[in-house]
Amino acid sequence: MSWQVVLTAMLPEHLLLAGIVVLLGLEITSRKSRAMLVVALVAVAAATAAALWLAFIGYAATPFPGQYSVAPVASLGKAIVLALAVLVLLIARDESGQRAFPVLLISSLYGVCLLLSSDSFLTLFLGLELMSLPVYALVLLAFRRPESAEAALKYLVLGGTATATLLMGVSLLYGGSGSLALSTFANALGSTDTMAKVAVVLVLVAFFLKAAIVPFHAWAPDAYEGAAVPVTAYMATIIKAGVLLAAVRLFGTVPVTRPMADLLAILPLISIVWGNLAAMRQQSFRRMIAYSSIAHAGYLFYALLGEGPGRFQAVAFYVLAYGLMNVLAFASLPPSENDAARDRLDNLRGLFQRAPFAALMIGIAMLSLAGIPPFPGFVAKFLVFKNVIAAGFTFYAVLGLVGSYLGIYFYLRVIQYLFMSAEGPAATRGTPGRLALGASFICLLIVILMSVFPGFVIDRL
Amino acid sequence: MADAGLLNGVLFLPLAGIATIVALPARQDDLVRRLSLAVMLLQFALTAWLYTRFDASVDGLQFETRLPWIAAWGVYYQIGLDGYNVLLVLLTAFLGPLVVAGAFTAIQKDVKLFYAMVFALQFAMLGTFLAQDLFVFYLFWETMLIPLFLIIGIWGGERRIYATLKFVLYTAFGSILMLAAVIYLVYSLNATTGVTSFAFADLYKAELPLPVQTILLAAFSLSFAIKVPIVPLHTWLPDAHVEAPTAGSVILAGVLLKMGTYGFMKLAFPLFPDATRLLAPVFGTLAVVSILYGACLALVQTDIKKIIAYSSISHLGYVMLGLVSLDLLGIQGAVMQMVSHGLVAGGLFLMVGMIYERCHTRDLAAYGGLAKILPVYSVFLAILTLAAIGLPTTSGFTGEFLVLLGAFKAAWPQYVLGSAYPLVLSTSAVAGVVLGALYMLWFAQRFLFGATKAPHLPLLDLNLREKAILISIVVAVFALGLFPDEPMKKTELAARQYQQLVAGNRTGTQVAAEPVLRDAPVPTAQATGGTR
Repeated sequence: MSWQVVLTAMLPEHLLLAGIVVLLGLEITSRKSRAMLVVALVAVAAATAAALWLAFIGYAATPFPGQYSVAPVASLGKAIVLALAVLVLLIARDESGQRAFPVLLISSLYGVCLLLSSDSFLTLFLGLELMSLPVYALVLLAFRRPESAEAALKYLVLGGTATATLLMGVSLLYGGSGSLALSTFANALGSTDTMAKVAVVLVLVAFFLKAAIVPFHAWAPDAYEGAAVPVTAYMATIIKAGVLLAAVRLFGTVPVTRPMADLLAILPLISIVWGNLAAMRQQSFRRMIAYSSIAHAGYLFYALLGEGPGRFQAVAFYVLAYGLMNVLAFASLPPSENDAARDRLDNLRGLFQRAPFAALMIGIAMLSLAGIPPFPGFVAKFLVFKNVIAAGFTFYAVLGLVGSYLGIYFYLRVIQYLFMSAEGPAATRGTPGRLALGASFICLLIVILMSVFPGFVIDRL
Repeated sequence: MADAGLLNGVLFLPLAGIATIVALPARQDDLVRRLSLAVMLLQFALTAWLYTRFDASVDGLQFETRLPWIAAWGVYYQIGLDGYNVLLVLLTAFLGPLVVAGAFTAIQKDVKLFYAMVFALQFAMLGTFLAQDLFVFYLFWETMLIPLFLIIGIWGGERRIYATLKFVLYTAFGSILMLAAVIYLVYSLNATTGVTSFAFADLYKAELPLPVQTILLAAFSLSFAIKVPIVPLHTWLPDAHVEAPTAGSVILAGVLLKMGTYGFMKLAFPLFPDATRLLAPVFGTLAVVSILYGACLALVQTDIKKIIAYSSISHLGYVMLGLVSLDLLGIQGAVMQMVSHGLVAGGLFLMVGMIYERCHTRDLAAYGGLAKILPVYSVFLAILTLAAIGLPTTSGFTGEFLVLLGAFKAAWPQYVLGSAYPLVLSTSAVAGVVLGALYMLWFAQRFLFGATKAPHLPLLDLNLREKAILISIVVAVFALGLFPDEPMKKTELAARQYQQLVAGNRTGTQVAAEPVLRDAPVPTAQATGGTR
């Protein structure tokens, strides 16, 4: 463990840490909240570049053996998450008044990075908590409505439950194997020992809770609706991506067999169906996105049914496509006099007449989330279901696809509002901020790349 | 090589069209319209040139492009012309300018978006026909939904939201099961032969057990049958047609419905031949039911658009009958019928659009005696009506006649062998011709003759633009009716290949002479045995 290795391998983390330190310093010395957002942007962008660089030179090292390791796959995962975080920061201009926002966000990102490099349950737990704790505060930060407090509390309590469940599972795993290494989970997956089975189920439940899989999803709609737009975007994209990429790391390349496969298929399947059904009835954009994210968490866990290295590929591509679409939609949400009004779906009525570009962007995001080609959401879904069928779970794949069909209706309803409805009386004019527009353009470029050359992206995952 | 580049040019020209009109400054609606027309005309010219270069004596793909696209999955961007798609591509390119020109005055709202969507639809439709790789095909197939969803939903009639959602939700349901079948098919091909490929040519070689074939055929068929549409999956069509703007109806009737029959011919039947032969009586029955049921419903409609919509169901039933007859004449008739219906139904919808623009109603009872006040309009309508009935010298005759001939040719030997059902089916299909004449003539009589009445008087007869549109359609209708030989030569090899693929003689020493419309299910051993 030479210091050079520690320095290079953890470069993205170090850059984030440097960002945190500078931000804390600014907090004392400067009054300008704009400057803090810029510092945060620079730090996260630099970390993204570092992670990409590590991935492309194929850097692999173990700075802390048994606890923390870096491989190209992990770096790639970090790069995806960090890049999405850059976009979220770009749409966060409204939050620049909240001086704690950038610090909390970067701290949470540090947790995600730790999570994706963890080799033992100790680091995993550290990463998971570091990722979640700032988000509880972030949800509360947008204390513009009483619901925010309720949402944050709900999220905190259920997050705590997830932590407890995870620790219980880990302690059972430790009791069985005498080791805290992540591989004990993969070994326990195929085990017939009851204690190992219980441990696996407990750990899985913790992940289900964090990713909002039915029936552990109840916190998501409230938290998503209660938080400010950028925080919702952060939760919907980065937290979900972090949890799922960590799950891929946890599962390794061990094939999933019955009866664990049934557990891993049935609850996500219920999530897909329930998420899509419940989203149909929502009148709030963020609540709808919450239910949509519940359904998407279902597809993502489906990807774990697939085999071997295909899992990371499927999850990474899916998370990228799904995250970009969420950011694109949130970045293009039309401004309104207050947060609650901005959130109403009615606010989108006739948007094409007022702001054609924003309407087109939200439209693309919805179609892609619905999995309609040529947008990347389709290739992502195809990749997941291809792996599931190749692993022999054809029946679940068909059910999952039928479940995904249920989602088409509510995504199309948004498009109907955007293009086919007359403007509502409360329609406000105004353009999104310049930074948000920039975020939309970046998203659009990546979306076009992923639509026209999906092979190019898949080959690099 | 140059021609292959040209084919790509034809496919991607609509995207260039979108880029051009988006780049135009706002409030230049007339410029947008003219430029769109110019792009569409250029596309048709290029396609027509390619059509003349298409060599009827070459078996297989021409002007082929094959580039790796998603290398990891064995997906290739592969397009090309063959006997299956050459006429349909020409038809699509032919209807393009007419659709654009037909919407010059009808569409006044969001003109740019409208033409962008028409181009997007054109791109997706051409891509669906040209694709020779199942992944690319599916991509284009699904992409088609979005522009049409918007075209019906934004510029449609009063109940447009209901109609467009119904259309998309119907079609998407079929597609989602097809997607599962596509993945499963490719996976099975990989499991049995070790080849990971989505290319049609490779998938034709997949050898699947009969039960699997049947399930996959059912999944593919559901998707295609909704698109055709085959009774009882047709209920979205009248709504979509009635609520769609003229341009939407023309594209829907002219090209989109043929996607379904094309899908059966190019994919569903040849991919799963054993299951197809097993289920041929079912498909035959559904085809004949569509013919008769569509005709009967057309008979009682009072909305002009609904008459033509139900007649489409009836006419596409002939296509299905021709395809399952597996007789060479029947297959070629089916192809001709597809093209003919595209021209005739497209033309009729354009004409309905023209009268609707003048009078703002599609209620048949509001009209009468138009022959006296709109002589030019009436002549064109009479010609298209007669073409829809299938009068000799028009394109409608060639298609219907060949299909019926093929169906009888396939049914007779079986009748001799003791099974009368195919013959009953063919005979019932002939009754459809009579019904077709009945509803079309009755419609023309009430519309054109009798006491003169119209919601708005006086009415202006057709202007130059409208005449030009209709003359080109009528010329095409007669050309196809008088000289069917030339296009049929270009499709003959493909028809033979289809027959050979489905009839099961895969080693290909001889074209199967045995007709396949059966009334009793073929025993499994016989179906899976043979030379496969």
